[in-house]
Amino acid sequence: MVINIIDDIEKSIRETAKKLLEEKKVDLIIGYTKGSIPLRSGPCFITDASQTDMLVWNQSCDLNLAKYLAKNDNRKIGIISKGCVGRAIVHLIVEKQLNKENITIIGIPCEGVLNRAKIMVEIGDKEIIEANIEDNKIIIKGKDFNKTLPLQDYINQLCITCHYKIPPIFDIIIGNKKPEKPPKDDFKDLNEIESKSSNDKIEYFKKELNRCIRCYACREACPMCYCSLCFIDQNKPVWFGKTADISDNFIFHMIRAFHVAGRCVSCGTCSSVCPIGIDLNFITRKLEKIVKERFDFESGINLAAPPPMGTHKFDDKQEFMIEED
Amino acid sequence: MVQKMISKEKISDLIKELQKEFKVFGPVKEEGVVLFKEITDAKEICLDYSNSKIPAKSVLFPMIDTLFSYKKEGKGVKIIENPPYEKTVIFGIRPCDSMGFSLFKNFFSFGKYKDPHVLNRLKNITIIGMGCLEPRTTCFCTSVNGGPFNKESVDVLITEFKDNYYLESITDKGEALIKKIKSITDADKGDLAKIEKLQKDIESAIPVIEGLVSIYTKLDGLFDHPMWKMESQGCIGCGACTYLCPTCHCFDVLEENKQDGSGRRIRIWDTCQFPLFTLETSGHNPRTTKLPRVRQRIYHKFNYYPKNYNIIGCVGCGRCIINCPVSSDIRNIFLSVENMSFKTEG
Ligand code: SF4
Ligand code: SF4
Ligand code: SF4
Ligand code: SF4
Repeated sequence: MVINIIDDIEKSIRETAKKLLEEKKVDLIIGYTKGSIPLRSGPCFITDASQTDMLVWNQSCDLNLAKYLAKNDNRKIGIISKGCVGRAIVHLIVEKQLNKENITIIGIPCEGVLNRAKIMVEIGDKEIIEANIEDNKIIIKGKDFNKTLPLQDYINQLCITCHYKIPPIFDIIIGNKKPEKPPKDDFKDLNEIESKSSNDKIEYFKKELNRCIRCYACREACPMCYCSLCFIDQNKPVWFGKTADISDNFIFHMIRAFHVAGRCVSCGTCSSVCPIGIDLNFITRKLEKIVKERFDFESGINLAAPPPMGTHKFDDKQEFMIEED
Repeated sequence: MVQKMISKEKISDLIKELQKEFKVFGPVKEEGVVLFKEITDAKEICLDYSNSKIPAKSVLFPMIDTLFSYKKEGKGVKIIENPPYEKTVIFGIRPCDSMGFSLFKNFFSFGKYKDPHVLNRLKNITIIGMGCLEPRTTCFCTSVNGGPFNKESVDVLITEFKDNYYLESITDKGEALIKKIKSITDADKGDLAKIEKLQKDIESAIPVIEGLVSIYTKLDGLFDHPMWKMESQGCIGCGACTYLCPTCHCFDVLEENKQDGSGRRIRIWDTCQFPLFTLETSGHNPRTTKLPRVRQRIYHKFNYYPKNYNIIGCVGCGRCIINCPVSSDIRNIFLSVENMSFKTEG
């Protein structure tokens, strides 16, 4: 039963956080807390050891909490870190955006988060009053309906292919999962979209990106989007269109993809937070593949590995450079 | 007041009839998301919905709104005005969202400047609202002077009852409209009392947040309270709560130029939650951090609006609660405000 494992972890998270605060090893714990509606969670910031019961851990904990860390924050912070939160911290350290000294990484094993957008499409526009995960099933109750969905089909795509269920580095680890040697990623899940014709691909992109309302929740929630002025906000002069028109949306998402290439830690947060339910995983997953194939690099795994977009090697592939005459 | 009815199956007939005279906008479901669009095929309309993801303000105040177009001609510029706004019906909007339209009216006609775009549309729009049979647990319309069958801001109110839709005209505009429609018949008088009871029952089942209408007086003294630090620390500063809010109306004005010398001036949605929103030409930004931005959203709706326009800037639709990526819940802010005030009073 999935739920049992998760319950135990939740208990240990609370105890660990309490102890760290009581012993003054940290000033602040950043973790997840229950959202006010089912299948939702939010961040919580705990400074008082008596409040650690607010902490929860379940498959709706989809945010990448590394977003709340900052280089100029002098507090000692304990952060509840599933695999991709740990990866984000590692990569942010590599990019010199964080100092490790003040951060205590409390590692937890992750079973993957739910793809809420897919669940919502499945149940239509009905309100979910209660949702539980039991025996690999999602049991959903509404005012006048019940629905049981197979858990496996509603896990975020990036979580299914994730090889780093626990953070690559940690100070404390909860649960008895040992770091496993990741199996080789075959990127088979991309076959479907890759085999489409160019026309079908563009139609698919259009279908997804046409709906974007430019709320920037994806960017704001992404741990790698930390620029103080995003390219899309450049207005002296304006660099790109800011409307929710398909051509402007295309530019925004494609350039953002370039900017997170080799940096994206495959947390899936950008997709999870999108209020419209746009699937941005299809972009990030492809980035992961390209970076792996071209540079044999995975972001946020190794503190000593130089990021491919920040280094130059003479044998970097550059067959795409075409000389014009 | 005129009361009419139509069987649910015949709703397409009604839409088709409206389309002869009006552009009809209604709820449509696209990829699981309900939003208001112009109905081209009456079958597209999706009336089995709780409330649209994107509020119907998008009809009155489109995400991209062309203010005018232009074309360079020799040394001069020719201004091309928008074509006149057509007569429009918004069909199936919830009463909370149509309350939002009253806020737009206030905002875009306040003081010296009258916004021709929004006001013109308002003049040409007839609102056929649809009562809420299943308010969501996040709804609190009854705490902000609204209700699931509120008649204040619709021209016609529809209530679904058994196999029929009951139509009730509220304004003269609404009455004139439904008198013309042939596909509807006189309401079954026997059902009317039952419908009224149903409406009351549904309305009274919505939990009321006491004191929300007068919360502005409490907010007056809380501008510098430490609660705003607490409330803002999780916020990531996106546009979800404001873009999807039926009352938020902030915009940015941009120019789009084409190489051939033509172009247009547009206005697009903008939000107080973005740092750029308050960045002044001098480089000074009065709201540099999340705290004042989060506070602004609450004060604008629950303090400045009541004080400036005598109207609450929120219709209680709950969209900001449902769509916030970090699950921030505006109702918790109300509770904090209540508690804070009690402390200062006690
Ligand atoms: S781009 Fe998306 S998946 Fe990649 S790190 Fe940012 S939020 Fe996570
Ligand atoms: S979160 Fe979704 S709607 Fe918002 S900008 Fe990103 S893709 Fe667009
Ligand atoms: S503030 Fe929230 S509840 Fe109020 S009208 Fe806006 S979206 Fe709806
Ligand atoms: S939707 Fe939530 S995270 Fe985004 S600006 Fe509003 S309160 Fe902040």
